[in-house]
Amino acid sequence: MPDSRRIEPVADLRPAPIQILVNGHKTFCYPGETVATALLGAGARGFRRSVTGTLRIPVCNMGVCYECMVKINGLEAQRSCMTLVSPGMCVEVTDEA
Amino acid sequence: MKLETLNYDLVVVGAGPAGLTAALLASDAGLHVAVIDEQAAPGGQIFRQPPSTFNAPPSSAFASYPFGQKLLAQARNNIRIKWYFSTCAWGVFHPEKGGVQLAIVEGEHSHLLDCSKLLIATGAYDLPVAFPGWTLPGVMTAGGIQTLLKSQFLCSAQRYVLAGSHPLLLLLAGQLVDAGAQIEEVAIARPRPKVCELLAGWRALPGHWRMFGQLAGILFKLWRKGVPLRFSTIVTRVQGKEGVERVTLSNVDTNWDILPGTERHHLADGLAIGYGLLASTELARQAGCSVNWNPERGGWVVDHDDTMRTSLEHIYVAGEPCGVAGAEMAHCQGRLAGISIVAALRPDSTLSAISARRALGRAKPFADTVATFFAPRLDALTKLADSETLICRCEDVTAGQVCDFLKKHPHVSSVNSVKLACRSGMGPCQGRYCQHTVAHLVSAERNIAVNQTGAYTAQAPVKPIPLASLALVQQD
Repeated sequence: MPDSRRIEPVADLRPAPIQILVNGHKTFCYPGETVATALLGAGARGFRRSVTGTLRIPVCNMGVCYECMVKINGLEAQRSCMTLVSPGMCVEVTDEA
Repeated sequence: MKLETLNYDLVVVGAGPAGLTAALLASDAGLHVAVIDEQAAPGGQIFRQPPSTFNAPPSSAFASYPFGQKLLAQARNNIRIKWYFSTCAWGVFHPEKGGVQLAIVEGEHSHLLDCSKLLIATGAYDLPVAFPGWTLPGVMTAGGIQTLLKSQFLCSAQRYVLAGSHPLLLLLAGQLVDAGAQIEEVAIARPRPKVCELLAGWRALPGHWRMFGQLAGILFKLWRKGVPLRFSTIVTRVQGKEGVERVTLSNVDTNWDILPGTERHHLADGLAIGYGLLASTELARQAGCSVNWNPERGGWVVDHDDTMRTSLEHIYVAGEPCGVAGAEMAHCQGRLAGISIVAALRPDSTLSAISARRALGRAKPFADTVATFFAPRLDALTKLADSETLICRCEDVTAGQVCDFLKKHPHVSSVNSVKLACRSGMGPCQGRYCQHTVAHLVSAERNIAVNQTGAYTAQAPVKPIPLASLALVQQD
């Protein structure tokens, strides 16, 4: 599993964190991040399972590949790379951290 | 939920260098303009910026393309243009009353935009390459890793292998080193450039010294960090349990065919794939614009005349959809398209296309040199897939399934027939990730040219949209 992490090239890069719920668990992230970034930053192992059951995470990060689809606020099949986080957002992934 | 029909002189799809240039020019000339983009902010992929909530310096892409900074500033300050961000354009229709109608969806809200002219500036996306293991988590496009890094400040892995043949790969290598990531190897498929090739590329130099300087800086940085950069090297396999663990590389000949016995392995948790770009032509094809096959320039690309008009009277094209050529060409084509559209709608306009054509002429040698120098060998890349390799990631269709079907049905010679029978291309990406691989499989099996296998029929909606918004449009 790839080991992703946030970097901080300049001091105080990010604003104050907010919380979203990932499979019901409180997860910190930052306003301006996409749901994909929040999930990768939290170490999610898989965003979705393919039709034959293999784990998938984002590939293109620009809305083309549809590998980053997750359930957001009850709506299925949302592209997490194209959706910005907001406080209290409920995200459901196949395999959490 | 609501459905509105709105009227514009010009609707532009895509807020990258081509679309923004045309939209701003047309708006300044007094046209009523709307711009649609899937991203949350202007700039397209090339000028994608850090979030406004972050305390970050602007994108480093401005160093290569200084015009970008001014373009984005003008876009942000233009309140005459109607901006539809986080909005997907999913269909072009031709109403009987004339003009063009564009269907868009913004969250759950659908709109129909009536316009006199439509400009398609939908950009390009990283060329997907199917090889054993490419669906494992951790294999990403070079563009995907780069946008996570430069606009989200997230490193998708810690130990990378970079494989491809596009110059973006070197840019990414430099950025990953700066971010503190480890790079095991940068594997470039094309052979080491010969002196005569480098000399033949001199026409690319004027006006691009800054870019060549940056490239030299990156090469020096990689050399100082001891990152191996090898030519005639291709990625052949990725292994791992539920993510990338081991990457296999092989040497290739000048046709990118694998040289047996040259395999070597790296332990890594990230693999960047950067073999080139495919033009995003789905919307143009759905609209009915004619296309031609140009594998050096992104596959199926949109035909246009010297005013950037497509085969359809009211539809124009600019940037990568008419042939992948980079941000500078996109900027010049956007300008030319904007001028042409203004001239078509305002016959008394005094805008002249002469300087736009000159700028295009100056940008072209660089784009041409890059295209020939780094052209992906799609035929060789298709051979990387073995029979177990998934070529359609959405429907999990293997190369073996497609080849078996072709063997059993000798009359089949089109990608559309394969799509109907094997389901490759029927998932949410709508064939963007598998079409060229299927085309090459059919071409190889039938011994026909790739362009004779056709393209998947592009139908509205060209991207998946909520059913509810579609139902509303049908009610209208």
